[in-house]
Amino acid sequence: MSRDNVLLVEDNSDDVELMLHAFKKSRIANEIVVVRDGESAVDFLTRQGDFAGRQAGDHPALVLLDLKLPGIDGLEVLRRIRSNPETKRVPVAILTTSDDDADIVRGYDLGVNSYIRKPVDFSAFTAMVEQLGLYWLVVNVASPT
Amino acid sequence: MQQRHGKTFAPGSMSPATASPARLDFPLEDVDAPLKVETTGSRLRSSIGLRLLVLVVLFSMVVTAISTCGQLYLDYRRDLAAIETHFDEVEHSNLNVLASSLWNVDVEQVQALLDGLMRLPDMQAATVTEAGDYASHLVLKAGSPQAHPALFRDFPIVYTADGVTQRIGTLHMEASLDGLYHRLQRTAVTTALTQAVKTFLISLFVMLLFYRLVARHLTTISQWLAGFTLVGDRPALALAGKPGAHPDELDRLVAALNSMTNRLRNAYQALTNANRQLEAQLLARQQAEREIHRLNAILEQRVAQRTMELQAANEELSAFAYSVSHDLRAPLRRIEGFGQILTAEFSERLDQRGLHYLDRMCAGSRDMADMIDSFLRLSRSTRGELTLDDLDLSEMAQAAFQQLQEKSPERIVEVTVAPALSARADRRLMGVVLENLFANAWKYTRKTPAARIQFEAFDNGDGVHGFFVRDNGAGFDMANAKRLFAPFVRLHRTEDFEGTGVGLTTVQRIIVRHGGRVWADAAVGQGATFYFTLWERGSTNES
Repeated sequence: MSRDNVLLVEDNSDDVELMLHAFKKSRIANEIVVVRDGESAVDFLTRQGDFAGRQAGDHPALVLLDLKLPGIDGLEVLRRIRSNPETKRVPVAILTTSDDDADIVRGYDLGVNSYIRKPVDFSAFTAMVEQLGLYWLVVNVASPT
Repeated sequence: MQQRHGKTFAPGSMSPATASPARLDFPLEDVDAPLKVETTGSRLRSSIGLRLLVLVVLFSMVVTAISTCGQLYLDYRRDLAAIETHFDEVEHSNLNVLASSLWNVDVEQVQALLDGLMRLPDMQAATVTEAGDYASHLVLKAGSPQAHPALFRDFPIVYTADGVTQRIGTLHMEASLDGLYHRLQRTAVTTALTQAVKTFLISLFVMLLFYRLVARHLTTISQWLAGFTLVGDRPALALAGKPGAHPDELDRLVAALNSMTNRLRNAYQALTNANRQLEAQLLARQQAEREIHRLNAILEQRVAQRTMELQAANEELSAFAYSVSHDLRAPLRRIEGFGQILTAEFSERLDQRGLHYLDRMCAGSRDMADMIDSFLRLSRSTRGELTLDDLDLSEMAQAAFQQLQEKSPERIVEVTVAPALSARADRRLMGVVLENLFANAWKYTRKTPAARIQFEAFDNGDGVHGFFVRDNGAGFDMANAKRLFAPFVRLHRTEDFEGTGVGLTTVQRIIVRHGGRVWADAAVGQGATFYFTLWERGSTNES
């Protein structure tokens, strides 16, 4: 795995499919790793459980985090990422359908890098994914560790 | 003598005759417990009749004593004068015979004369002493002379012989006062006894009279008064054998007592009635208070229950809103997403009807997304804290119109926004209000040539001032004005003007939270004006 990976935390397979479609449409070649719940996301980042064999220091360039997840929810995943010294500098963007003010505030309080509301319109969604990839995978400079 | 009177009438040794009326004077003791006494002295002081008796007796004794003394003195003077008269009679009638007898030295005759003198009343002694230079005088005596007689007189015995008058001796006579004193004593005893008996009888009579006329009535009055009560049907006070033909002081007393009793009873009755009324009022008030307390408790319980229900409902609503914002929109977005992929990448494989259905499906999902968004706005307009700022409404209005213009650049609308409109309100919510009102005006002027929209302030002069949004669009029938602000109510067909029917409801809720009102004025085809006010009760802060 290279550091160009994107970790997509999304439980709904349709949403995963649409997201992958949008990534393909916007010609982003980075590998997309998909996990379907919060525990798996934390395991992936901290190399535990199914992901125990991953190389240390290999962090994704971006974590795309849904809020509504089975088991521990998105905000709790964010809290654990930020409270772990190893993963605390990983860029995390919340990508959700919720525009609830409380969710937004709590997300930023927990140190999210970006809060993105999924547009209902699919073409707008595709455009958003393109901008997202361009910014976080090309423009943005990640922390070296 | 006085001591004898005292013994006879001393209260301690009362005779049966005096005890009887005295006892009649005392029934007060049986009636009036506090006056009950045991000693003779206080018994005397507690009976008017007995006191009257004692006073009358004392006064009579004093008067009797004084009059008896006067009488005795007069008797004494009279008896003294009688003795003097006897002496004078001796001088006039006996002295000449005695002189001739003495001259003749007829001793027997002289002695007989002296014995005769001694028969005069009160005479004690008579002595004849011969005068002259003889060695032995002739001295003749009758009776027993005293060394210091109480009363005496010396008569010179003068004899005239041959024209020569010479003193031949002296007659010395002594009188005794013993008889006089004895008579006086007898008179005194007789007078005192007579007076005492008379005084006693008069006193007795006065007492009987007093009892008959006064004391028994006083007893009746005191018994009646002792048994007097303010309630009940005791007969009025009446005295035996009264009133007579001529009402006296007692009759007036009885009349006054009876009238006082009536007034007392009336006053007591009035007081009792007032008291009863007060008690009834008090009872009623207590009952009312208890009822109020009970109702208050029920009310508080209900309020608490409703509050809990409301809180539960609010929490449910929040959960619902969250669920709507997330769970319902997600599948909708998927429909939209796959629909667009179908449209973009598979349209050549669909025929005309297939494309139409695909288009309708996407339009339906868009409408539903709009609806969900407006529901969420409505739900959020009533929740959360108000953050009040001084807002530049003119600037916010310009920005909102600019957005509308950008969404439909082909529209030509004459927009007038009054400058420097400001208000203290929550920025986000006031933004929702302006967006909704302007969007409505924008929407309903779509079919109007030369569309005009105004946003200005108004002041009707009664202290009511606020803002209005006016358009010259489709308007509506004022008959429907009341339903305008109810949720999900639409006055136009969706084919004519799209919408969800919650925009004005949201506006109204926000305005109410800002202490204001919102109302409309419109006519079909003439356009509509929406007025709103803020903080009408003078408060600029929501508690």
